[in-house]
Amino acid sequence: MPRASSLSQFTWIALADPTRRSILERLSRGEARVTELARPYAMSLNAVSKHIQVLERARLIRRRRAGREHFLSFDPDPLTSAAAWIEAQRSFWMSRLNALDALLQAEDVTTPKTSKRKDKSR
Amino acid sequence: MKPQPQKAIVQVTRKFSASAERVFDAWLDPNTVGKWLFATPTGKMGKIKIDARIGGSYLIVESRDGTDVEHIGEYIEIDRPRRLVFTLKVPKYSEEITKVTVEIRALGTGCELTLTHEGVLPDYIASTTSGWNMILDQLSATL
Repeated sequence: MPRASSLSQFTWIALADPTRRSILERLSRGEARVTELARPYAMSLNAVSKHIQVLERARLIRRRRAGREHFLSFDPDPLTSAAAWIEAQRSFWMSRLNALDALLQAEDVTTPKTSKRKDKSR
Repeated sequence: MKPQPQKAIVQVTRKFSASAERVFDAWLDPNTVGKWLFATPTGKMGKIKIDARIGGSYLIVESRDGTDVEHIGEYIEIDRPRRLVFTLKVPKYSEEITKVTVEIRALGTGCELTLTHEGVLPDYIASTTSGWNMILDQLSATL
């Protein structure tokens, strides 16, 4: 299963687009102005701004204003919390399946259905 | 129906020494379900109603600290012992309807189960994390 599909809604949407991933990649190397960010892309400044908005909604980008200039920087926190969240979900289901296995094995001890049942899961 | 690709997906896989049939039946037998599926150590299992057919619904109520927590849903696919698909909603925490797919394949004398939970939202886990931590603590104590 691809890791990206385990992320929360806004994070997933934000990361689903190659342009936005490349914007994050650029910002992970340091703060940049909107105009600087837009330069490598064959699209309007407006189109790049839309991508930036999606990343801001996912809180993957922080904006700092200095006079008329807007500086953007990368914020990896949502990726961390998304990973923690998915881990908690997975733990929940794994704990339920562990409980089921324990229950079925306890049944085997009290009412053996097959004479030669061996525990192969350990 | 609109597609929901942005919803998160959780997937876990586990091996069982019990047969695929026994593991499958544990999901639909009311006497078994109450002992493991949505049972927490401090909670008391309440009403369990299971209408185990496609389109049939289920209700599993657990009382936690005097509050009833309902788990409700509907069976979408029942293909014993290979595949079980059902919806899951916990109204106390979220109005969101999520989908759980259970796939079981025979493996030697036992089986391997893969569970996929789709459409889970972060706010659901936020309100239940403490409960789940408790579940995990209890489990490690009993296993």
